Amino acid sequence: MIEFQDVTFVHQNGVKALDGVSLKIDSGETVAIVGENGAGKTTLVKHVTGLLKPASGKVMVDGLDTSSTTTAKLSRKVGVAFQNPDHQLFSESVEEEMSFALRNFGFPAELVEQRVAWGLNLFGLTEYRKSSPLVLSGGEKKRLTLACILAWDPEVVILDEPTVGQDSIQKEKLAGTIRMLTSSGKTVVVVSHDIEFLWPIQPRVVVMKAGRVLGDGPAGKLMLDKGLLDAARVARPHLVEFYESLSNRPETPFVDPLEARRWVEGEGSP
Amino acid sequence: MADILKIDRLSFRYPDSPKKAVDGFDLSVGEGEIVVLAGQSGCGKSTLLRAVNGLIPHMYSGDYSGSVTVGGASVKDSEMKDLAQKVGFLFQNPENQIFMFTVERDVAFGLENLGVPRTEMRSRVDEAMKLLDITDLALRAPHELSDGQKQRVALAGVLAMKPRLVILDEPTSLLDPKTAEELVALVARLRKELGTTFVIVEHRLDLLVKMADRLVVMNEGRKALEGTPRDVLFGGEAEAYGVAVPSVTEVQRLLASDGSVGLGQLLGPVELADAVERRRA
Amino acid sequence: MYHRLDPRVKLLISILMFATTLLVRTLYELAAVLAFMVMVAAVATVLHRVGRTMAFTALFSGFIFVVNFVFTRNLETSILYAARFVAIVVSTSLFFITTSPDELEQVMKTFRFPRDVIFAFVTAVRFIPVMFLDTIQIMDAQKSRGLELEQGNLLKRVRNMIPILIPLVVNSVVRSGELAEAMESRAYGSVPRPTSLVEYRASAKDTAVAFAAVLLFALTAYSFYFVFPAKIL
Repeated sequence: MIEFQDVTFVHQNGVKALDGVSLKIDSGETVAIVGENGAGKTTLVKHVTGLLKPASGKVMVDGLDTSSTTTAKLSRKVGVAFQNPDHQLFSESVEEEMSFALRNFGFPAELVEQRVAWGLNLFGLTEYRKSSPLVLSGGEKKRLTLACILAWDPEVVILDEPTVGQDSIQKEKLAGTIRMLTSSGKTVVVVSHDIEFLWPIQPRVVVMKAGRVLGDGPAGKLMLDKGLLDAARVARPHLVEFYESLSNRPETPFVDPLEARRWVEGEGSP
Repeated sequence: MADILKIDRLSFRYPDSPKKAVDGFDLSVGEGEIVVLAGQSGCGKSTLLRAVNGLIPHMYSGDYSGSVTVGGASVKDSEMKDLAQKVGFLFQNPENQIFMFTVERDVAFGLENLGVPRTEMRSRVDEAMKLLDITDLALRAPHELSDGQKQRVALAGVLAMKPRLVILDEPTSLLDPKTAEELVALVARLRKELGTTFVIVEHRLDLLVKMADRLVVMNEGRKALEGTPRDVLFGGEAEAYGVAVPSVTEVQRLLASDGSVGLGQLLGPVELADAVERRRA
Repeated sequence: MYHRLDPRVKLLISILMFATTLLVRTLYELAAVLAFMVMVAAVATVLHRVGRTMAFTALFSGFIFVVNFVFTRNLETSILYAARFVAIVVSTSLFFITTSPDELEQVMKTFRFPRDVIFAFVTAVRFIPVMFLDTIQIMDAQKSRGLELEQGNLLKRVRNMIPILIPLVVNSVVRSGELAEAMESRAYGSVPRPTSLVEYRASAKDTAVAFAAVLLFALTAYSFYFVFPAKIL
């Protein structure tokens, strides 16, 4: 679905943001891209929709070469939810905001109406239909930007740091949304440094540092590689630290606290 | 140990709002304490913080009742210029609290505003930069710095005013975990070296849980829970108020609830593993 | 080297240049002044940058020439007025090109500009790079919603600016609010004249250059008025 072929990208100031990145993401996968600030995660994301074009190498999205395809066309297939909703809300009403992208992509009027209603309902925003998007709370704005994207039903959804500034209730809702997207067959890519949030989702993890891919594999395996994570300055989930510190432990690390407790008590009994 | 901050039945309602943002809130903070304030978005934390450093009522007017006392002085009856020297406020977005072209001038910003003479200002600025380990950034332009560095520059500017109480509004929300860890360690060090009192509003408790003396959970403008982090997180009510219990703490709580692991202090992942093994041995 | 002069001296030089162009009455005098300015710009190594402002300047100066000629039918005075405009632009742009925002602030402080005006200027300049980055991020976000910024006729392109401008303006307003809170929290406005961490003192070199500039101006003014232009060339 998405393929990076030995991609290099250099910023105007000479810094190599991507240094020979090769990566393949298949349809329906759930992938987390982790790494410290400046590792190249957002640069990577921007290459998927052609906002940035590689200096060398190729980026293919569903068979299209991003260097010769418009961002609008690529965005039809790949919806990107950027970190800051205040960088995109501008309409007079929430429903207008939701129909903006749909109209740009050429959806006919009745379908626009249908999708807007569906999206608002899915994210519990129907009551704000006629309100200005600018008066919504931070959490509601984030939900709105997601609703806008899902309204045009892209095959791939990329979330760039979706948990920043979110409280635990909002994060739970977000985790639920990701699960829903995955189960409806969408390819989901989450760029995040919130390891604790990502861990229970157990995605495929791609670790980046200084424009390179240092590691790529299932969360259950990758998060155990302390050397790799330290090199990339990526924190390990606390449950994994706990798991590793036990001298006597099960095959795979605990995914949530309940699992940990069950095992500890199971082992304890004579 | 005297109370450096005393909030007594504080209530505040913004002029265009039907509901009170803060509704009868009480809190006493002793000197040198680290208090973490948590609660879901919209619970009134931001309003409360602004009532402590004086932005409410001096910059934002509204329906104000009750009192806030800092270092013995009433916030309502003090001027911002005196309050600024008692209470430091580190805002959430590091970018929007750095004004000057160079780092050292921004650290000096508060002192320039107070009319502090140049020689004294120079030594206080140098001291603050040294404390925050940013001396080598003195002549850099702020927009070139990383978020973690900007955070430290802003904090240096706050500490240069020598406040006894510093408020941090979600300081780690825009930082990656490693940088966030460094900031938290920095706060612990500052408390130890300077004896400064810290009130920190945070969602990400896993980093602060071991360092904080007290955890206060706010809900709909009122105090919902208060106690040591361990007591509050083990109490089982925190989740209902939108406060996520860190995963390892949750494991410890589950094990402690049926006596399998001791009910002692809050343990980190490695310590908990040790405790589990010792119990088994 | 020129850049490192005290900004007040640079300001003086530009003002004197400007004043000289007002004293000019013949084309020979004007040519001499323009040549001198070009020389100073070259010394300051900013000839290239000053040259870049010429496109618009030349257009406007041509307009001045035409209007003048139509009304006076005098070739010499028309050229004089047109060229004078160019000279004014060169002298002022020389100052702004060689003076950093920091130095501009220092000049404003020397001339006792109101504290709030200086602060507004400094903050605005400090946030220019930030707003630039914001604009790029906004454009990226809207492009990702299918907004086409490079297609369509003029009217359509202008309309497509709205999804960029509104978030930009809104963000600026929000930013101002946050800045205001931070300012208040750091005692802004406590004293009418804030002290300054960095001291700006004119060196002997600065004073010497300033003195030389004034002397040169006096001599030029004298020769324009009491000596034939041809003689000083």
